Amino acid sequence: MTRGIVCLLGLALGAAAGVGVLYLNPLTEPRPPTFAEADRTFSYRFPESDALLFTHEGDGRLPVLPRGAEKLWENTITGAALLAVALHDEGGKAAVATRLSRPSPRTDFLLEGALLSDDWLITVPGEGSLFVRAENNLWPVVKDGVVPVWYLKRPWRGPTEYRPTEGPHPAGVAVVRGASGRFAGIEGTAVERYELERFGASGPEALTGELRLRLPQSLTVAEQQ
Amino acid sequence: MKAAFILSVIVGFAGVLAGAHFYPWVQHVRLPSRTSVVANGGRAEEFVIRLPADRVHGAGTAAAGLRGEARPAAARLPADLADGALLVEHFKVRDTGGQVIGVAARHWTDTPDGWAAAWALMIPGRGTLYLTGRGEGAARVDAALARAGFARGTPWSGELTVDLLDEGAGRVVGGSDEFERLVGTYGERWTVTSVAADGELAGTITLSTVTRAGS
Repeated sequence: MTRGIVCLLGLALGAAAGVGVLYLNPLTEPRPPTFAEADRTFSYRFPESDALLFTHEGDGRLPVLPRGAEKLWENTITGAALLAVALHDEGGKAAVATRLSRPSPRTDFLLEGALLSDDWLITVPGEGSLFVRAENNLWPVVKDGVVPVWYLKRPWRGPTEYRPTEGPHPAGVAVVRGASGRFAGIEGTAVERYELERFGASGPEALTGELRLRLPQSLTVAEQQ
Repeated sequence: MKAAFILSVIVGFAGVLAGAHFYPWVQHVRLPSRTSVVANGGRAEEFVIRLPADRVHGAGTAAAGLRGEARPAAARLPADLADGALLVEHFKVRDTGGQVIGVAARHWTDTPDGWAAAWALMIPGRGTLYLTGRGEGAARVDAALARAGFARGTPWSGELTVDLLDEGAGRVVGGSDEFERLVGTYGERWTVTSVAADGELAGTITLSTVTRAGS
């Protein structure tokens, strides 16, 4: 009896130590690539002002915007999220983007972090469209926001900057592929940056998102085909 | 007793780390792909969108016609995007058996090379497929409906087929995961069966893809 209790206590203590190590584990921190120069930078504010649509399974604490938008409740798309935002580039030109997100099967809380696969479709009216494929590590947001604010009921200690991009390019950046118009045949890379000003009961309450694109390599359409 | 305690601590510690590393934290439900092999190589697959049930969101400028009216109404484009030609639509996507398998975004705009449309189809268990093609002219569905007797503000029913892209006219340009190295062609057909008084379209969008492994 006593031995059983001691073993249970030992297991609990060991498990707690394991959780502590995972929480502070430097291996799951994003390793942001250096990306000082960008050929084009798009930014947006979320959720206020620039969010056209944000929908997902709808059962959690995150809101669905606008209220009444269709939720992604079917079991084959559980975990997926759709975000549509108005963007502005550094010159003030307006664009629109959709981000299709899903949790990545590469998620590994010991070595990689909480990974999200994001596919962006960005359209600049009058210019054309491009795709951006990104793998983002949201573990720092979980650690700084979700756990302390949602579960430990502590106040948000921000604002905080995040650079979540981890791939899929071997250099740890996202991959850009031009679709049409001025962007047709272009290939490049991208990184994301978030300035999270407030995180509360319903998740990010004031955030500036930034997508920095480098388009160094232009391919002709014939080459791409 | 002491040895049992230390062993238990080690087991608890190692168990948590092993679980964090080896447990499959993300497992998307995946339905069998309804693909068929085409005669000249490659595989064909159709994706279906049923309107209005599968429309998640749509918003556009006046150039987009009926399809540009914001649904939900609160999701309209901001003022600085209201000029010019732009249509942004989001849907749930089904396989040919009628099962929802993913979500999709469609963007349409004018470019220096003419009208252009682009799709991103995300099927969580498989990846995301990128499609791009020469887009339809402004308010093309409206024009076809008008020829079929539709008048704005009045309900209409019938069956109207509009090819926004002829079969094989669009290009599949890869994507992610299972779709990463695929290239090929696609067609986009809208079959409209009714229009409500408020302009809501009912019908089916069919995306027909033929793909093969690229480089």
